[in-house]
Amino acid sequence: MDAVLIIQSLISGIMMGMVYALLGVGFSLTWGVMHVINISHGAFGLLGAYMAYSLLQYFGVDPIVSAAVSVPLLFLVACGIYQLLIRPITRAQNVVMASMILTFGLAIILENVMAIIWKADPRVLTPTYSSGALILGPFYFQYPHVVGFGLSLAGITAIYLFLKKTYTGMAVRAAWQQPEAARLYGVNLYWISMITFALAVSTAGAGGICLALLNSFEPHSHNLWLINLFLVVIVGGVGNVIGTALAGLIIGVITGLSMAFLPFLWVNLVTFGLLMIFLIFRPHGIFKQEGI
Amino acid sequence: MMKVKRTNGFLWPVIVAIICSFTLMVPVPGFGAGKTIVIGGSLPLTGAYAETGQWIEKGMLFWAAEINAKGGLLGRNVEFKIYDDQSDVSKAVTFAEKVITVDKVDLLFGGYPGTAARAVMPVAEKHKFVYVSMGGHMKSFEQGYTYSFGAPPLMGEWWYEGFFHWLATVPADKRPQRAAVYTINNPVGLSLTDSIERWTKKLNIQIVINEKYNAPLTDATAMIVKAKQSKCDILFANGFFPDGVTTMKAAKALDYNPKIIVQGVGSVVPAWVKELGKDGDYVFSGTSLSGQLKYPGNDKLNAYTKKTYNLNEYPLYFGFGYAWMQTLEQAVKGAKNLDQTKIRDWLKTNEVNTIAGPMTFDKRGLPEPINFGTQIINGKVELISPKRVQTKEPVYPKPAWKK
Repeated sequence: MDAVLIIQSLISGIMMGMVYALLGVGFSLTWGVMHVINISHGAFGLLGAYMAYSLLQYFGVDPIVSAAVSVPLLFLVACGIYQLLIRPITRAQNVVMASMILTFGLAIILENVMAIIWKADPRVLTPTYSSGALILGPFYFQYPHVVGFGLSLAGITAIYLFLKKTYTGMAVRAAWQQPEAARLYGVNLYWISMITFALAVSTAGAGGICLALLNSFEPHSHNLWLINLFLVVIVGGVGNVIGTALAGLIIGVITGLSMAFLPFLWVNLVTFGLLMIFLIFRPHGIFKQEGI
Repeated sequence: MMKVKRTNGFLWPVIVAIICSFTLMVPVPGFGAGKTIVIGGSLPLTGAYAETGQWIEKGMLFWAAEINAKGGLLGRNVEFKIYDDQSDVSKAVTFAEKVITVDKVDLLFGGYPGTAARAVMPVAEKHKFVYVSMGGHMKSFEQGYTYSFGAPPLMGEWWYEGFFHWLATVPADKRPQRAAVYTINNPVGLSLTDSIERWTKKLNIQIVINEKYNAPLTDATAMIVKAKQSKCDILFANGFFPDGVTTMKAAKALDYNPKIIVQGVGSVVPAWVKELGKDGDYVFSGTSLSGQLKYPGNDKLNAYTKKTYNLNEYPLYFGFGYAWMQTLEQAVKGAKNLDQTKIRDWLKTNEVNTIAGPMTFDKRGLPEPINFGTQIINGKVELISPKRVQTKEPVYPKPAWKK
């Protein structure tokens, strides 16, 4: 087996995996902290991708720069959605099930809104560097992969530091680990839940931009993204930021190696076989310790 | 005025989903009341194949507006009952059953993609309804169905015929020698390999790599590295738009420059040129219909899409939607009534003239193979083969990527 092929596939797989990790980290947070399985998470990611597309097409704004617009915007939109839709269902007897049904509907609404605004045509994010590559010896580092990887790494690091180093972040962790105790210590669970949801949605927007740099997208693409979201979250552990990042990398490595060593038809078999193994032997994911 | 009822099909148990279904039911102004001929079926108006499905719908509606303006079919206005199958084959089957048994439509229209058409063909046969569509692939026409017609069909097995006919004209020493074949693992993708296997043997091109992949293709790096390392000078990317784009982007980024890149069905949709720009150029493919054909009706359609959508040439699937209805129209007029068996028998024994040209049908419901080789040159899908329809000389070998 050719070493160049293996290393090149690994490089590509790792970079792709990190992008899925960024997209998945918010999904993991809402699931872990709020017990809300946000089926519309990928659709919010897609919304970020479409915003980047329009900003690039009409104003020539680079997708990385456009994240500075779409991420805060999605944060605000998510606050409104939390207030309007998510908060009421947190009082439901079965929050997980209620959230899945509600956000499934929300995903379909978002999909149709995107289809109305941007039409059903497939789109491709093509900044000037979209098909370029940094060449180091026999290896090609495709710029969209590098940018996606860098943005994802920065995003995940920022979330990790926010959760570890800031008061609000620590409150989020407290709400996840011991909600009643956190409430007794004066943590406003409503406020924390809203911030968590908004943070998750805005990271989805950033993740969506990164993914759109790599693949074309259409209003229904979020359904395909969702499959990978479940994969990274289950492997990484629900609510676990580092676990999610690691899961993204592991999945990237496995996908990359599978593509180098095995027939391409087997790649999904191997990747989802991994998911099944995790579900059987480590239902809490990579780390024994739950949480962020 | 035209009336199109677009129904989503099932109700969600929660209010949010009910609201959502409203967003799917976009009413379109309706046409004439009275004893209209209702033509029913489903199209993928949302979901994975929405872009194509919506163009087919537009082509059908253009035909309906045109025929109603001329006094209708058999003197009666026509109207469509179009369900959105959401790109789901099982829903396409359900809606086919529904329009026949519940809505009791007069005629059935053809669906998309091939997987849906293939699944609806037995339903049409069971209820003895004429079904004019693209067809699924060759096997779907080898099941003994007598009410299904491909008019014009979109046979994956014929897709590269035009391209290979042109390649055969290239001197043997200048032809590519080593092929990498990557095929999406679905019936449409697999049907594309049929002509590759036949013609590569004939032209002494060695298939060095022959692999299938499952959709979605999130990364084509390994594919391109393998093809590049194996010194493959012709790449067959037998897929749709998303995987086609991923493959092209990787080929450019990794500076892979084969003499020829052949792409499946993704490169003939308008988005290919619009979204990829120069990077989408020089890709070969095939088609069984084009706005550049000289058959009657093509200029009219081009003028309409220019005026309405500012497109220089009608999109392929707009044309298909229109052509399928042209076939059905001529069959109904020929049969002089709406008796399905009489319509079928007329089609079996007569020639129809569509924007894809004249065609008669064999026992399977297929015309003689129709295929034109295409290449994208300067952002336009040009016909390169056969010579009689050629709009431009092909660019060969493919120029290296411009960085």
